[in-house]
Amino acid sequence: MRSGLATSHDRAWAAIAAPGTWLTGERRVAVAAETRHARNCALCARLKAALSPNVAGEHDTPGRLGPAEVELVHRVVSDPGRLSEAWAQSVLARGLTEEEYIEIVGIIAMVMVMDTFSRALGVAERALPAPQPGAPTRYRPPGAKKQAAWLALVEPADVVPEDGPLYATPTASYIYRALSLVPQSMRDYWALGFEHYLPSELVYRFDQSIRALTRPQTEILAARVSALHQCAY
Amino acid sequence: MLRESMQAGGKRVDVAGVTQGFDESVDIPHAAALIEFAEAVVARDDARTAKARAALRERLGEAGMVDAAATVGGFHGFVRVADATGIPYTTAARGRDAPEIRSRAGVNEFYRVREDLRGNP
Repeated sequence: MRSGLATSHDRAWAAIAAPGTWLTGERRVAVAAETRHARNCALCARLKAALSPNVAGEHDTPGRLGPAEVELVHRVVSDPGRLSEAWAQSVLARGLTEEEYIEIVGIIAMVMVMDTFSRALGVAERALPAPQPGAPTRYRPPGAKKQAAWLALVEPADVVPEDGPLYATPTASYIYRALSLVPQSMRDYWALGFEHYLPSELVYRFDQSIRALTRPQTEILAARVSALHQCAY
Repeated sequence: MLRESMQAGGKRVDVAGVTQGFDESVDIPHAAALIEFAEAVVARDDARTAKARAALRERLGEAGMVDAAATVGGFHGFVRVADATGIPYTTAARGRDAPEIRSRAGVNEFYRVREDLRGNP
């Protein structure tokens, strides 16, 4: 395995274990555990198979998170292509803040990336890390606003120095902006994401690839995985 | 992004294959093996994945197989970030995914687009 991948996984697991912006290390590791548990949830299996993503029932959960968090984790893991703004608002109405929502989505995404990679290689998933003590920083970017997406995000023009480094270019795509309500989650996620795909500066340089695959080979994988998830983006 | 990457090399691709499957005419080396690997991993079918992984290793070498696994893993994260936050899919690929491209690729049949077209947020 190239060293950048191994390093990015070490860094991502350490980030998951550490106190976040809105969640403690313990809660963040509990989200990672729930992400793994959701793959075998009977309700999620019924939801995935149903014509409509509205099936009553209880998720199978280890019980370390509240109902809103469990619903968020399970649906994002099991049936991401059939989420809606109304569903997202219903999760928030059950007692989750939008900052917590975004931080949790960032953790789910990182765990899915790393565990799927392990499964693809046929190696065991890494054991969950021990949560690190400490308090969340509770930083909300002052420029964040709900406009383009279901939840607030920070547009490149609204970044302030206190946000830390967010965008290398004002034309950063929305997939990159999506987690910007929680800047540290965004940075943690993309440190991993760019290592798995391509560095940001090469994403729109279609004639170049630094990987062992040609760019079309990378993109046919990306397109097929996205389509199988019914991802319209 | 697939279409753009092909155009950069002076080639074309029918994006309908993204949802309907690519035939043997697609001008990407080892496309069928790559697609089989992606589908096996998404299906979480370990036996099928092992077979597809071996086929990829034979065709692309260890580094190619690892980078295929990295890409497939990476997109298990990207799709969840995009779909859980509701970012506007019309801006994908910096707006290069024009409506006719989404239609041809079958993306308009996806749940979120169908619900949007029906006016259900």
